[in-house]
Amino acid sequence: MRHNRKRKQILRKLILRSGHISRLWAALVALCIGTTLLLLSVMIWWNFQQLLNGKSDENDSLGSTFLTVSKNVTDAKMGKPQLTIFSSNEIEEMRYAPEVQDVGVLTSNRFPVYATLNSALNFSTDMFVESVPDRFIDKRPEDWYWQPSNREVPIILSTEFLNLYNYGFAVSKGLPQLSESSIKALGFDLKVGEGELQQTFRAHIVGFSDRITSVLVPDSFMAYGNRLWGHNAYSEPTRLIVKVKDPSSKAFIQYLQTNDYTTNAEQLRWNKLRAIVEVVTGATGILAVLLMALGALVFILFIELTIAKAQQSITLLLQIGYAPGYLSRFMIKRFFPLLLATAVVSMIIAVLVQTGIAGWIKTMHLALPEYPGWPVYAALAVSTLILLTLVATSIVRAIRNTK
Amino acid sequence: MQLFLQDLVPIPLRDKVNAHRSDIWKRERTFNQGNCVFIQAPSGTGKTTLMHILYGIREDFTGMVHWDTYNIASISKDDLSQLRAMHVSVVFQDMRLFPELTAWENLEVKRLLTNSVAAEDVEKWLVRLGLGDKKNAIAGTMSYGEQQRLAIIRALVQPFEWLLMDEPFSHLDKANTDLAIALITEVVQMNRAGMILADLDDNDHFFYTQKIAL
Repeated sequence: MRHNRKRKQILRKLILRSGHISRLWAALVALCIGTTLLLLSVMIWWNFQQLLNGKSDENDSLGSTFLTVSKNVTDAKMGKPQLTIFSSNEIEEMRYAPEVQDVGVLTSNRFPVYATLNSALNFSTDMFVESVPDRFIDKRPEDWYWQPSNREVPIILSTEFLNLYNYGFAVSKGLPQLSESSIKALGFDLKVGEGELQQTFRAHIVGFSDRITSVLVPDSFMAYGNRLWGHNAYSEPTRLIVKVKDPSSKAFIQYLQTNDYTTNAEQLRWNKLRAIVEVVTGATGILAVLLMALGALVFILFIELTIAKAQQSITLLLQIGYAPGYLSRFMIKRFFPLLLATAVVSMIIAVLVQTGIAGWIKTMHLALPEYPGWPVYAALAVSTLILLTLVATSIVRAIRNTK
Repeated sequence: MQLFLQDLVPIPLRDKVNAHRSDIWKRERTFNQGNCVFIQAPSGTGKTTLMHILYGIREDFTGMVHWDTYNIASISKDDLSQLRAMHVSVVFQDMRLFPELTAWENLEVKRLLTNSVAAEDVEKWLVRLGLGDKKNAIAGTMSYGEQQRLAIIRALVQPFEWLLMDEPFSHLDKANTDLAIALITEVVQMNRAGMILADLDDNDHFFYTQKIAL
């Protein structure tokens, strides 16, 4: 369409000869920086969510969302163990607490357990065992089951306990330090019950848990033991295992505090970090929106100034038969590419930064996606759409208002 | 396209219009396509005002102006553009060229809107009206006579059913007026269009079908 091009050439000469190109550049740079900041703040927020919610296994250290919850033992509660028991009502209530996805009961033994490590080491001790529903066990071993005919009982030990033994107990007592595999190879005897009903089982450790600080036996063994040898004293649990979507959630922590519950404090430390990240992203976001608003304002003023300067030409163009809609579209086609270009530049910066962050965070044995997530694209789409709408509206209005 | 007027009164001229008899103001008049109308209008009777009302530039009037079904008082901006681009052309008394464009660009900006007249024809018209060497002159620097001839050619480079002219030869000598008349007659006939020419003094530039007084 040669005549189309020639017509536009003349229109450009008539309408778009306003000077002050430096103002246009200033507006575009402000818009670009504003958009980039907006994308970065969304990205930081989103990346933190990714780390915290631990979608991927690699982030287990951060995203471990299983907490053991118990009641605070205070001076006032000392000597009154029934005060640290969870009633069935409280357990039920916990299921509906904020962020909570699942609640399990840590059942403890109500019968005596006496462990004897083989005679060579001559190590024996009274001990306690607990059990949880299988779904709460991380890294469940293959041989993790028990039935009454079995003389062997599998045990899962907390990694914490192994560490306590290796770095505390063994060193001070001159006992050998043990690796996980060597412990698994060790068998020991478990004397269970009292008097005539006492039985001896062979026990061996089949796995270690980061999640639950306890000595775990299969649920079926616990149920069997409690039925056979159990005292009836405390039948209700003192510790719960809780699956939490986001352990740093303010609402969840508020819930724990109001009920005077306590949990692994490590998990809650993220709450403080989260607060900081929220402040930083919030402040960046506000700054970004302000910058974008400023950029948009200067940009729109530039357009309105251009139209005002060309008012005589536009009036005459309308008088010789040009439609206001045609002139608006002409202006829009001239200015939209500039806005889209700033959006593209911002997006490229965001992608580069995300790739950089992903590489950097890998060195800390955490994982983040190589490319920005959908909230970043959504933020770009929404902000660009708003910007384009504002500019288009102001162009159409300015041309319509030209007499 | 038919032009229909009824009870037309420009608000700023209301008192004047009431004071003397006119063939247009406060009358009902119909002009059919192909009519060649001369409106004789002494100074101050509202000649330019009438032209601007017909062309949809002024809205300060009462009464009715209809171009076929288009009611000029309530026409949408897009329909008005369509009317001006395709059906009604005008030679303004004050020319209204783009002073910063060249003579040729002034014609092209209009011609390319509809692309209904060939560029070669327009070049020939420029030569016929003695503007062959002014093609690349900046319109603002041209004499009134030259600008007026340019404005006449601009009015002809679109399809039209009516040609409105407001003192179109006021800056032209006899020779140039005759050249312009010949060109206008030819193009108006080509378009089978009607024309309305308003001027101060009686004349016989065209074969008028009606002569009326404003």
